[in-house]
Amino acid sequence: MNQLVLQLLNGLVVGSSLALVASGLALLFGVLDIINFAQGEFFMMGAYVLWVVLGATGNYALGLIAATVVVAVGGGLLLLLITQPLLEKAHVLVLLATLGVSLIIQQLAQNVFGGDAKLLQPPIQDSIDIGPITYPLYDLVIIAVGLGLLTAGFFWLRYAKYGVWVRAVAQNRPMAAVLGVPVPRVYLLAFVISSGLAGIAGGMLAPVTSVFPNIGGPVILNSLIVVVAGGLGNFRGAAWIAILFGEVQAVGSMLMPPVVVELISFGLVIVLLVIRSRRKTVLVRL
Amino acid sequence: MFEVNDLHAYYGKSHVVQGISLEVGRGEAVGLMGRNGVGKTTTLKSIAGLLTRTHGRILLEDADLSGMSPHVRARRGLGYVPEAQAVFPEMTVEENIRIGALIQSRANQAQCLDAAYDLFPILSERRRQLAGTLSGGQQKMLALARGLCLRPRLLLVDEPSEGLMPVNVELIAQALKKATQEGVGILVVDASFDLVRTACARMYAMDRGVLVGMYRPADFSSPEMLAATYLGDKDA
Repeated sequence: MNQLVLQLLNGLVVGSSLALVASGLALLFGVLDIINFAQGEFFMMGAYVLWVVLGATGNYALGLIAATVVVAVGGGLLLLLITQPLLEKAHVLVLLATLGVSLIIQQLAQNVFGGDAKLLQPPIQDSIDIGPITYPLYDLVIIAVGLGLLTAGFFWLRYAKYGVWVRAVAQNRPMAAVLGVPVPRVYLLAFVISSGLAGIAGGMLAPVTSVFPNIGGPVILNSLIVVVAGGLGNFRGAAWIAILFGEVQAVGSMLMPPVVVELISFGLVIVLLVIRSRRKTVLVRL
Repeated sequence: MFEVNDLHAYYGKSHVVQGISLEVGRGEAVGLMGRNGVGKTTTLKSIAGLLTRTHGRILLEDADLSGMSPHVRARRGLGYVPEAQAVFPEMTVEENIRIGALIQSRANQAQCLDAAYDLFPILSERRRQLAGTLSGGQQKMLALARGLCLRPRLLLVDEPSEGLMPVNVELIAQALKKATQEGVGILVVDASFDLVRTACARMYAMDRGVLVGMYRPADFSSPEMLAATYLGDKDA
């Protein structure tokens, strides 16, 4: 029983962080119909920015803010730069461009920081008792921040002016434009938020996973699976599936080897896709 | 107040709109009629800024809108209610109306919802319903109410009566008339001669990408008589 509670919490740590990356990916697909293959590398950039700022200042909060802002602005502008000339052309070109960007960022990280894993201490070393188990407080903070951000995203999309406009552009771009919605600004916002979510997730998880150039590989793979299963462009669906995905992997690892858990996770995704294919999926929906 | 000079529009190699010039005054409703495929919808889309391959001058209260993006044209006072896919299907009726109001002040946003519900009370009853689940006629009403929410100086309306029951056509015609009384200029494309005759004091006839005449709908008793006149004019 103790082991089950422990694994459920571990699943939430992985799932809530994955949900941030995946919901960013879903948002971008909803608004612009593009898949950003560099999202995993934005996650990695967030981890490195945290490592650099933490090394220079010793201030974790500052490092996390820097990770979010640097990746949001840098990633957002980068996406704007590479996708703008390609948006009116075939979508596969945007896909290939983001794939190229991901390889470049990965190689740059390798050259600048080296291939070794940078180990970070969590900023909070305490543990607390949750019933019969003792759990690291920092991991609980990751869960709280992850779920908090997803909830904030949910309400922002539902009630805030720009949130409503993001959904409007996702559902009917020409109509949104003729109603005065500044579509180019909404695009930029989607780029920035999507990148920023990956940046903050990378920064938060850095002390848990360590930091190395290929850290984004599994992240983008899992995010793509989650986004496809959650319904392309569906912010809420991506968040839920990410958390489910984290839980299945964590709880499954109690019962069987990790490879089998992975296979079951992928099987689950296929089942979800079959179910989803029977009904029309929708874009950014709340 | 509103003027289009020598407007051309292309789809690929096809030259769909071939040099149209027209005018709409403040508080005036003007019809644009013609057979299917002559370029009426393309004309409205070009004016709204939704087509990229266009040229010609579009003047709204002396400001040249040509070359501006659609959202800037909307903020300058140009509204557009398209024929199809006019609503955001996964948003509620109220959210749909709010989108048109979000570029205005908070006070105007509240007024906008009230005005939309006054115009079409059915929308008030269905305010929490997803717009994609409304009937075709209700979606038309929603799109028109939302278009008026923008408080446009000129509203382009494409086929507002298509697929509607006669009672609803009358409602739409009354809504257009009310808007003109409040000073909104309207350019409406519609196949319903009754609607054009009720709402518009004058109309342009269009055939194969060009305007072939300007008429007073009140002078004609049937759409056939009108078509015979303008097609005859063109042939002459």
